[in-house]
Order: sequence, then structure tokens, then C-alpha cells
Amino acid sequence: MSFRAPIAVLLAGLAFAGCRKPGREVVVYLSIDQPFTEPILREYEQRSGVKVRAVFDTEETKSTGVLNRIVAEAGSPQADLFWSGDPVRPSVLVKKGLVLPYASPSAADVPAEYRAADGSWSGGAARARLLLVNTKRVRQDQLPRSVRDLADPRWKGQTAIANPLYGTTTMHVAALAEAWGDDGLKRFLTQLKSNGVRIASSNGEVKRLVASGEVAFGLADTDDAAEASKEGAPVLAVYPDQGGMGTLVMPTAVVLVKGPHPEEAKKLADYLLSVPAEERLVELASHMPLRPEVKAPPGVRRAGEFTVMKVDYGKVADAMQRLQPWLREWAGL
Amino acid sequence: MSTAIVLEDVTVAHLGRAVLRDISLQVGAGELLTILGTSGSGKTTLLRAVAGLVRLQQGKVRIGEALASEGERLLLAPEQRDVAVVFQDLALWPHLTVQGNLAFGLSARGVPREERRERIATVLKRVGLDGKESRHPGELSGGERQRVAIARALVLQPAAILLDEPLASLDFLLRRELLQLFRELLGEQGMTALHVTHDPRDARALGGRVALLEEGRLEHVGTLESLAGRGDLPYARELAGT
Amino acid sequence: MGRSLATRWEQPAVFALAAAVFAAVALLPMLSLGGELLRGDALSHAARALSAPRTWKLFAASLGFAGAVTAIALVIGVPLGFVLGRSDLPGRRLALWLHAFPVFLPPFLLALGWFHLLGRGGLLGSEVTARALFSPAGAVLILALGLTPIVTALVAIALQAVDPSLEEAALLAGGPWRTATRILVPLVRPAVALGALVVFALAFSEMGVPSFLRVGLYPGMVFSRLGGVDYAPGEAFALALPLFGVALLLLAFERAAAGRRSFAVLGARSREVPALRLGRWRVAATLLAWSGAVIPLAPLAALALRATRGGGFSRIGPSLGSSVGNSLTASISAAGAVLILAIVIGHAAARGRRPALALDALAVLAFLTPATVLGVGLIATWNRPATQAIYGSGAIVAVAFAARYGAIGVRAAAVSFAQGSVHLEEAAAVCGAGFVRRLARILVPMHARGLAAAFLLALVFCLRDLETAVLLYPAGEEPLTVRIFTFEANGSEAVVAALSCVQVAVTAAALLAGSVLLFRRRS
Repeated sequence: MSFRAPIAVLLAGLAFAGCRKPGREVVVYLSIDQPFTEPILREYEQRSGVKVRAVFDTEETKSTGVLNRIVAEAGSPQADLFWSGDPVRPSVLVKKGLVLPYASPSAADVPAEYRAADGSWSGGAARARLLLVNTKRVRQDQLPRSVRDLADPRWKGQTAIANPLYGTTTMHVAALAEAWGDDGLKRFLTQLKSNGVRIASSNGEVKRLVASGEVAFGLADTDDAAEASKEGAPVLAVYPDQGGMGTLVMPTAVVLVKGPHPEEAKKLADYLLSVPAEERLVELASHMPLRPEVKAPPGVRRAGEFTVMKVDYGKVADAMQRLQPWLREWAGL
Repeated sequence: MSTAIVLEDVTVAHLGRAVLRDISLQVGAGELLTILGTSGSGKTTLLRAVAGLVRLQQGKVRIGEALASEGERLLLAPEQRDVAVVFQDLALWPHLTVQGNLAFGLSARGVPREERRERIATVLKRVGLDGKESRHPGELSGGERQRVAIARALVLQPAAILLDEPLASLDFLLRRELLQLFRELLGEQGMTALHVTHDPRDARALGGRVALLEEGRLEHVGTLESLAGRGDLPYARELAGT
Repeated sequence: MGRSLATRWEQPAVFALAAAVFAAVALLPMLSLGGELLRGDALSHAARALSAPRTWKLFAASLGFAGAVTAIALVIGVPLGFVLGRSDLPGRRLALWLHAFPVFLPPFLLALGWFHLLGRGGLLGSEVTARALFSPAGAVLILALGLTPIVTALVAIALQAVDPSLEEAALLAGGPWRTATRILVPLVRPAVALGALVVFALAFSEMGVPSFLRVGLYPGMVFSRLGGVDYAPGEAFALALPLFGVALLLLAFERAAAGRRSFAVLGARSREVPALRLGRWRVAATLLAWSGAVIPLAPLAALALRATRGGGFSRIGPSLGSSVGNSLTASISAAGAVLILAIVIGHAAARGRRPALALDALAVLAFLTPATVLGVGLIATWNRPATQAIYGSGAIVAVAFAARYGAIGVRAAAVSFAQGSVHLEEAAAVCGAGFVRRLARILVPMHARGLAAAFLLALVFCLRDLETAVLLYPAGEEPLTVRIFTFEANGSEAVVAALSCVQVAVTAAALLAGSVLLFRRRS
């Protein structure tokens, strides 16, 4: 029969796809960029023999895509571990009761300000929020020094930030709201807009805009700056507000969520929070080490070497939630 | 004489307009009845109503002993009626060979392979197509395709065969030859046949009773001669004139 | 008498089964999202969102955007369809293939290519080109160039289906120019209308290109209710309702315009007719045809160049992973499932059966719903303990593809079934064949080419998908498009460009293999 063969093949295919080989596995959702984290996961697979299945965030849904997927899947959880690019977004999961607190022994020597007392998250190698400057467009004596320079009329139409609805920028504006008050932040963002700031889809996009010279400078992360330098772009990273409130530092965060493989998840968390894993992330993603014994890569400062903005991650999380409707309106969506 | 096809007060409507009105007609077993009428008179619809390819608005259709259609209900689907149709465009399946076209209905009826082959060979030989079993319809002449179409109907040995102007597109020589063949075949097998045509010459060549349809109404049933005597009907006057 | 197993229930039963499967795949996700609306105060949030002037401003902007894209696609596509479909231009078949190719690629990939070409640091880039690119006009042009082939191809195919005698009669009486404008254009109007509708619909729901080029539009707004921190799927669904409204209007317009010919727009020509002579238009037509073929390929060339220059191909291995296999597995199984559903539903639609037309409308709605909204609905529907065999495996991607691209298969199959005499099927029925036998032995083999084309079309649309799969691919089994998109975040530009080239190559290979099978001469 001309009909039956293809149907049989199809059913066999579906059945095959439906039956994954049984074996030890752990499912991790990540909002840290794939080029940096995938090698670490593969290394863990090789040493432990446990299959690590991963869902990565995309450029467009930066940092919130997988978060919302964990929320959407809450009815029948799929993920065992959320490896977040910042410690603030996981608070959404904590509030929804999706997190499994776990104080990993590996994280015992991480400075206390970079992990939650209740074990809901533990920090790893961090990023700082930088002003990425195109040196062909900005002279050495004109270098911006503060995030407020983004609103300076002298740079009208020549600056960029990532859409604050997504990515690390969400946390950054929430931290600024904590520092300046909600009204102070709203005034600043309104000024930014009238100053013609380009709203990029992501920090990577800000990097592209700065590297290609489309804008003079923009707000990005340490890893974006490192990537741009690696590509040979004429860029310089400025740690903003060193004379004032300081530069925002965001540790990565390992969060256990209520998933189907809790024991494997703990083992993976222990590994991701270990010194060797921190070293790898620092090396691959040009992150800032948190532990003194981990060496900083060239061009990256460690948290003790500059003024760090003082933040209460819990309060920042509240501000982030509170600001959403206003930010959407600001972004025109 | 037992009846093979019975229509009782059949009305068929299409897009709100009655195409057939209150048709009552009986075709006896082994009889050949020709339905005459101009284009648009409803001849083809009548055939399709018998085959179960259109739904009635009201009335009944019986095939043999079985009630096939009653009102809007199709009690027997086309595939359950045990009738065969020779369509005006022949509807030979282009992707199947002559053999395949004939075998299709037999295998649908669960005829065993051996018997299938015998029956097909017999019919093909009878219509003069032996040796052409493996041709596709596209590789046959017009006359040969007509023969395949009639063979495809005959090989099933159905309770009745419905012919929808199957010769309309042929030249008159071929037409005469095929009419002769049809007449012989139907006679040999004692087959009940309902034949639709606009051309009274076809009716004359095949013989048997005729029925005249005009604007969906059955105006006359009888011999061709008796029809010619109906001076009240325009078609009959034309017929008498020829 | 040997009575077959065929029963009169066979056809309704098979149809009901196909309808139930398709409804489970495409309708349930929408219903479950509708249910989200009734949770908590989602309804009042939704009402507020829908009554905000900002919402309707963006909606109007989206209508304008889609209208502009459609207008450009028509202005380029209709003449190009004539030149590439019916003229005596040398090499027109090749030109048509080249011209049509970009439609089978994810639009964001084309935008990325244009960025490498015209962005400030691009091959031909300057401040002026960059400014033009990152503007509404730039987004309109890029998307229009990507979607024009839909109009071109529909016009070209419809022209080849025009009854040759109509055309010959016109040629004898009026010459080629008059024949083209007075006879052929009106005759292919249904195809033009269909092309315009498809382009409008796709442009209206497109999110990737406008957001890449910083143009705020309605689908981006819907997405912000799903991608942001305050995740609100119910509200997103409410915001998608106006999109459904537009989709229903388009559908009603199409049904009214094409009437009973809805699925008979395209057909096969019974015999060859000499091509229209271009005469003094030859130079202009040649120029038009080859610009139409080459310009849309420029961004692909830019991607290839970027990949080569940065050594992207040599570093591609670890980035590629098993994504090509994942893409192919999900797409082939989805296209296979779509084909089976499309055979049953498309057949009934071609015969004008009402329930089938309703399913066709559902399929079109699922096709036009923002992919992210549909995706969230699919998660809500399938992520249950009882359905983990599907949700926890690659099957969920195939299910999502089938929901989203079912319309393509159903439409293509219906077009095929609408051709040829109904008598061929009736003859099989009166021979005693039940529905399944008629399908398997008569209809499917007879329409094998049309159905293979439906499969191929569904396949390439699944291969090009990003937005549906990205939300629900099973951990560790992402398709290639998702991989490109995740690597765009901080991956090396050259590697991302190289991955894009792999996507282009896979699509080209699928199309090539498909067309070799489709167009090979019958033995």
C-alpha cells in the first residue's frame, strides 16, 4: 500500500523521539549566554557521566524567556536548575514557590553578599555594568564617567541602551530606582528618551552598535566589552560612577527549582559553584571572579578593585516588578 | 418482469432550484432505457440520483430490492449500490493502467486475485482491447478509451449500468461502431442499463424504451415511435421532423 | 455478490478523526489561553490594555506597516510574475527559483544579512545606509523583499494554468501586450488577491524583522506581555484578539473574493503555449527579472562573506551540535503529520464541505497568531504528567509545527484536489470503493505531485521556523534556527553568520531534493 509505509515510518519516528534513552540526566535552563556556558556543561557531562540537557535564552528573550518558561511549565516542571545571569530574576520563582532552597557546600567560601541566606540562590562569577565606548567616535578627554552621561545633550542621538524590559538592563534600572527613587529613575529615563537614546534589543546589540560606530557609547556588560575587544573593535570599557554611587555588579546565580531530578541537580549545583567552574566561566565569559583565589582575566577588574554599587537584591527584585508597566509604556510597547 | 431501478416522486434541488421534479420511473431487470432531453433538462442529475452522487430533496430510489435513497437520507452510499457508471468524460484514472483501472473495483469488492485476472481478460478480449492491459489511458486512442470505460463498468457485473452520454465526443463512424458494441454487450449479459443522451439517434441505435425529460419533468415514457407521436412536445416535433 | 468492507461511515469517521487531531493540536492551545483570561484579575488587566490608546496606535502602525509591505510586494511581484512565469526571457526558470528562495528562510536571518551589508560597519555600509536600514522604511523594504516571491510565484503559477485557448484567442486578436494586460491580468486576479492576503498576514504578524530594526509594532507589544518579568499570558492572549479580528476579516475577504474558486486558483496546464514575446520590453524585463533574482540574495552573500572572513566555518563544529538533525527530525515528522491531516481535511475543503472550511479557518488563525502566544498555549495544553511522552520529547516541536503550519499543507492539498474532474473520485465510489480505498488508491496517487509539493512546502516552513520552537523545544534538542538565535547573544559574529549559512544550505538542499523528485519526468 502506498499509504502505510510512510505512516509506519512516521509513527516509528515519533515513538523514537518519544522514548529518550533512560539514564542519569539533569535539565538546566540558563539565561547566561550559550557560547560561554555550554562548554562548562559539556565538561561536567564528561566527568560525571550525567547527561545535561539545556535550554538557553535567545538574544531576543534575554534572561526572561527561560524564566517565563519555568513559570509556564510549573504545572509539570521540566527544569531542575536555573542558572541565571543575575540574582534578581530568580526572586520571581521564589515568590511563586518554585524554588528548592539549597545551601551548596561549594558556595560556603563565596562572599556572603553574593548569596542568599536562605539558600534560594548562590552567586558565581559576576558581571559589571559598563559604559562601552567607541574610541574612534569619542576622544580620550571626552570619555563619559557616569550612567547619567547617557542623558547628556552633547551625545544626543549617539548613545544606546538595551530594552529595559529584557536582559540585565531590567535589573540595572531597578537598582537605579533603588538608588534614586522611582521618580528619579523615571526622570532619567524620560531624559534619555528625549536625548534620542537608541533602544537596542539586547546588550549584544548595544555592543554591535558601539563596535560598528553606529553610536558613540552605550550601556553593556563586562562580557560584551570583552567580546568586542576580542573581535578587534575600537572600544574601551568605562566603569561608571566611580566617584559616586559606584558600578553595579551582578553575580551569576545558581538556583535549584522543583524539577524531576533533584539529586542530580544538587550535584550539578555543587559543580557550577565550585572554584574550577568559576575559573572556567571567568575565562570563557570574561566575568569577574568573586573568590580571591580565582585569577581575573586580562582587562577585567575584580570586585575589590573598584567602587561597587551597594544594592539589596531583594529590594531590587521588588522594584523590578513594580516598574514593569511603566517601563513597557516607556519602551512604547 | 421484476424491477431493477425504481424512482418514486423524486425531486432534486440545486442551489434552491428544482432540477428534477416528481420523477417516477421504473426500469425492469435486463432492460435498457434511454433518457432523452436537451442540455440542462436534468438527465445527468437523474443518473447521479440513482448512483447516490446527489442527495434527493424528496422521493425514493430503489435499486433491486434495497431502498437506496429516501428523502434527504442516503441509505446506501454510492459504493454500496452495486451500480456502475460510464461518465461523459470517462473518468479513467490516469495513474493506473488499463488492467489497474479494471482491477480497482474488483479488489474493492474483495474478488480474489485469480478470478480478477480471468474476468478482466475476458472483458478486455470481448471489447477488443486484449494486449493493451499495461497501457495508461493517456496512451490510448479515443475509441480505445471508450472501450476501457465500458469494460471497467461491465467487469464488475453490477446490478445496473448507468451511461452518461459516453459517446458525445466521438465522430459518427466510431460512434456507430461503439453503439453496436454496447448493444451487443448489454444484450449478452442481460444487463440493466440506464442511458442518457441528447441525441435520439443513439436511442434508436440501442433500441429499447425511451423517456423524455424537459426542465426536470418526465414528459413521456414509451417507445421512440410513441414519442414521435407526441405533437404537444417541442422535442417530439423536432424528432418527428428528422 | 461480494460486498466490500466499505461503509458509509468511513468518510465521516476518517474526517472526524483528522478534525479531532487538528483541533487538539491547534484549537486547544487557544482555548487554554482564553481560560487564562478568566483567572484572577487578568480580565480587567486585559480590558485596560485593550482600551489604552497606545495599544491602538501600535495596531494602526502595524496595519500601515503590513499595508506598505503588501503594496511593494504587489508592485514588484505582479510584473515579475509575468516576466518570470510567461515571457520568453532566457533563464527565467532559474531566475524564478533564485528570486523565490529567500521566502524559505527565517526573515530575521535576512535582516541579519542586510545588517552585514548595509549596517554602518557593513560591506557597503555608511551612516546613510545604516540610518535607512534602522527605520520603518528599511523594515518595510526588507520584509517586502523577503515576501514578494509569494506574489511572484502565485502569479507565475496561475498564468501557467490559464486555459491555453483563451490565451491563444487573445494573442491572435490583440498581440502579447494587450493579451497580458486585458486578458491575463484579470484571469489571474484571484491569485494576486491570494498573494496579497498571504503577504499582508505574514507582515502583520512578523516580529523578528521589526524588532531587529528597532521598529515598534503590535506583535512586539503582545510579546512584551510574555517576555517581560511580569509574565501575563492571559493578557497577551487578549492583546492577540485584535490580530484574530484582522485574520478573520482577511479570511472572509478571501472567501468572498475567490468564491467557489477558493482552492482552484492554481492549476496545471493541459498543453504548452508559446511564451509571451517581450519585444521592445526585453531590456527592461531582463533587468527587472535579474534584479528580482539577485538583490534578495545579496544579504545571503553578505552572511557568507562575514562567515568566511571571520573564520566562522572552521569554528562552527561545537556551535552546531546536533541542531541540524533536530531541525530535520522535527520538521520532517511535522510535515508528515501535516500531510496526513491535509489529505483528509484538504480533500473535504476542496469539495466545499462546511466543517472542513471551518477547520481551514482555524488553521489560518493558528498560522497568523503570534507564535509566542500559540507557544504558551501549547505549553499549557501539553505540559501535563499524562502527556510527557510528547511534551518531554522532540514530538512537542512537531506538534507545534503542525499547529502553526497546518494551514500551508491543508491549502496546498486542497488546491491539488480541486483540480481534475470530480468524476474520477465518483467513478471509484460507484466501483464499490470506500473512502479510505479511494484516497489510498485513486486520489493520493493521482495527486501525488501536488501532495508532495504540500509536504515540501510544509517542510521548509517548519525548517525556517524560529518563533514557535524557541518557546518549547525540549532541553538539549534545539533546532538550528534557535541555535542561531541563542548564539547571536554574544556568540562570535562570524560563527553566527556561518550557522546562518548552514541554515541556508539545509533549506536549499531540501528544496533541491524536493524539486528533483517533483519535476522529474514520469517514466
